[in-house]
Amino acid sequence: MNPIQFQKLPMAGLLSVAIAIAAASVAVPAYAVARDAGKGATKTNVNKSANSNKNVNVNNNSNKNVNVNSNVNSNKNVNVNSNRHVDVDVDYDDHHHPIGTAVAIGATVAVTAAIVGSVTTTLPPACTIVIVNGLTYQQCGSTWYQPQYVGSSVQYVVVAPMH
Amino acid sequence: MKSNHRQLTTARAISRARTLVVAGAFLPLIGMSGTAWAQAATPAPGASPAAANVINPEAIQALKTMGLYLRSLKSFTVRAESTTDEVLDSGQKIQFASTVDLKARLPDRLRMDVKSDSKQRELYYNGKTVTQYAPRLKYYASVATPGTVRETLVVAASQYDLTVPLADLFFWATDKASLDDITAGLYVGPAHVGGLACDHYAFRQEGIDWQIWIQSGKTPLPCKLLITSADLPSQPQYTTTLRWDVNTAIDDKTFTFVPPKGAQKIEFAAAVAVAK
Repeated sequence: MNPIQFQKLPMAGLLSVAIAIAAASVAVPAYAVARDAGKGATKTNVNKSANSNKNVNVNNNSNKNVNVNSNVNSNKNVNVNSNRHVDVDVDYDDHHHPIGTAVAIGATVAVTAAIVGSVTTTLPPACTIVIVNGLTYQQCGSTWYQPQYVGSSVQYVVVAPMH
Repeated sequence: MKSNHRQLTTARAISRARTLVVAGAFLPLIGMSGTAWAQAATPAPGASPAAANVINPEAIQALKTMGLYLRSLKSFTVRAESTTDEVLDSGQKIQFASTVDLKARLPDRLRMDVKSDSKQRELYYNGKTVTQYAPRLKYYASVATPGTVRETLVVAASQYDLTVPLADLFFWATDKASLDDITAGLYVGPAHVGGLACDHYAFRQEGIDWQIWIQSGKTPLPCKLLITSADLPSQPQYTTTLRWDVNTAIDDKTFTFVPPKGAQKIEFAAAVAVAK
C-alpha cells in the first residue's frame, strides 16, 4: 500500500505545485472529498443556531459556498505518513516528523514560495516551535507559520518572519 | 396507541409501498417492516407531492415535549456514537465514525470529548471561557464567551465557525429552536434503539430531511438522530445514537481546561459572513 496520499489545495501559492509534482510519481490515485463551491459538508445539527454558515476568510480566497460547515471547503488536506487513501480533514500528531514523504517534501522544498497569508493544513518537516507574545509559531526553515483554529480544524497561515 | 395518531397520508404511503414490495396476497401479513419503509422512501407513482408534506401536530408536540424535558435537566452526561458521510468528488459516499462524550451542567458548564478516526478535540466551557484542545496536535485556543452554554454555542458557530456536535440538545424548546422551519412532520411508529423503547418521527425542512427517535414514557430523551443533507446531490447522512445519564453529578474541574505539559496556545480565526 502506498502510504502517500494528498489532495488538491485550492488556495493559491503554497504547496499546490508541490502536490502536482508529487502526483506524477504516486501510483495510488488520491480521492478528494468534495467540498468545492456548490457542495458542502454533511450537516450535523437541526437547529439553525447550532450550525455555522460562515466562512473564515484567512487568505482572501473568498468562498461562495453557503452550506453548513462551509469553512472546511477551503481546507483540503495533504496527508503524509498515513495509511489513508481517502483524505478528509485529518490531523495527526506526527505532522512535524513525517517519514517516507521524500517525494512530497522534496517537491515542496523545491517549489515553495511561501506567500505571507497563504494557508496550509500541514507543515513541512523540521519545524521549530517559537513562542512570541504568548502565541505559538512554527518556524520551518525561513518560513514562519501561525497555527490557528478554523472551527475545529487546524490551519497554518504563513506570516512574516518574527525575527 | 400511537399508531392511531399516524397521519392518514402516511398510512396510504405505507400501503402503496407494501403493494410495491410484496404480492397482494401477502399484504395482510406484512407489518411495519424495514423493507416496507425502505421502499416507502421512494414515492410510489401517483403519490401526490402534497401528501409528502404534511405536518402532524403530534410530531411537533413530541419535539416540544422532548425539548421541555431537556430544558428541565440540571445536568446530564451523554455518550454518542455517530457516523458522518463524506462525499468524494465522484459522488461516492464514505462513512466515518466518531464518539462524543458530553457532560453538561446547566446553564453554564460544558465539556465534550470528540474522537473520530481523523480528529480528536476536547471542548471546555467553564461559564466564562471556552477552550478547544487538540490532544494529538497539542494546540489549544481559548476565548471569552457569554454566560450560558447555549449562548456560547451560538457564538462558536457564528463567530468562530465552530459547529459543535449535539449542539441541538441545548436548543430544543428555546427561541433558538427551528420548529417553524419544519415543512413536513410524520409519526413513523414505535421503534427500539439500543433496546430502549422509542417513538420514531420524521421531519423535513429546508436543506435537510431528518428523523428522530424519542424515548417513550416519562423521560422523553432523544435516543437517535439522523440528518440527511437533502440539498446535496449525494444526500450524505449524519447519524448519532445517544446514551443518557441524567443522575450522576459532575465535578467542577471537568469543565476547566488545564493546559497539559507541552500544550501550545494558538488562536481561533474569526469568521466572516458569507454573501449568498
